[in-house]
Amino acid sequence: MTDNCMKHFERISEYLDGELDPATCIEIERHMAECPQCENCVESLKRTVALCRKMGGEKLAPDEATRIREKLRECLFREHKAG
Amino acid sequence: MHQETAVLRHEFDPIDRELIESFKAGSSEAMERLVERYENRIFTFGLKMCGHRQDAEDIAQETFLSAFRHLDRFRQETPLKNWLFKIAARACFRKRRKKKGEPDREISIESLRHEDGNGGDYFIPDPDESPHDAVLRLELKTIIDNSIRSLPPKYRMVFNLRDMEGFSTEEAAQIMGISIQLVKTRLHRARLFLRDKITAAYREGGLQ
Ligand SMILES: [Zn+2]
Repeated sequence: MTDNCMKHFERISEYLDGELDPATCIEIERHMAECPQCENCVESLKRTVALCRKMGGEKLAPDEATRIREKLRECLFREHKAG
Repeated sequence: MHQETAVLRHEFDPIDRELIESFKAGSSEAMERLVERYENRIFTFGLKMCGHRQDAEDIAQETFLSAFRHLDRFRQETPLKNWLFKIAARACFRKRRKKKGEPDREISIESLRHEDGNGGDYFIPDPDESPHDAVLRLELKTIIDNSIRSLPPKYRMVFNLRDMEGFSTEEAAQIMGISIQLVKTRLHRARLFLRDKITAAYREGGLQ
């Protein structure tokens, strides 16, 4: 890693999230065009996020949803009655 | 560290507004509909944070109960969804404390840099070509879930809020009560950490 690589390494996430000013983006893109390591670094990080998003989802099971609602109704109704 | 305060302006969701009014007027159907709108996301967040379905169920339960109890004090300056996540985030921390769970720790940027040149060839499967085979898919999901679970809690929370739930940097900062800069730092390290974990899982003979 060169000093330049190091500097960009810290900002890759902000770069991917579109949180950097245009001048810094251009600087990073120019660097990536001539540094395959940094290009790979950015691409693989982008993939990591996309993969987690795609595979990480969960789904509440119907019996879990029912239990949550039943307990809620029970608690809130009891409190309501107690005033 | 430089502290930026997040100032957020939001249009309050009109359906939420109406349901909240109905709930305050005593409609239990409005309560059901509010739960229905957010239960899956709160449960998912709880599961991603705690790793156990029972804990996630408790967190969802606690979150909604607390929300309905305090709904009259909720001023609708932030979206209901953000407010619910703020309550859920606190519930997650409480749960971890009660269970005397893993201590929080920092991830150093040095540990993620691979200056020696090793580990720089990352192996991250293409998300657009995730396996059709159910067994392979489950194996991949297990790798991803375990990797996320292995993040230290405060990094895991930032990652879940930002990348899994899609909150903005400002929103995540507000939900967690930390600075924008800290959200950015933690998110970056969390992502780098996950990349290393997933790569390592593949190297150790995971999927190919
Ligand atoms: Zn470079």
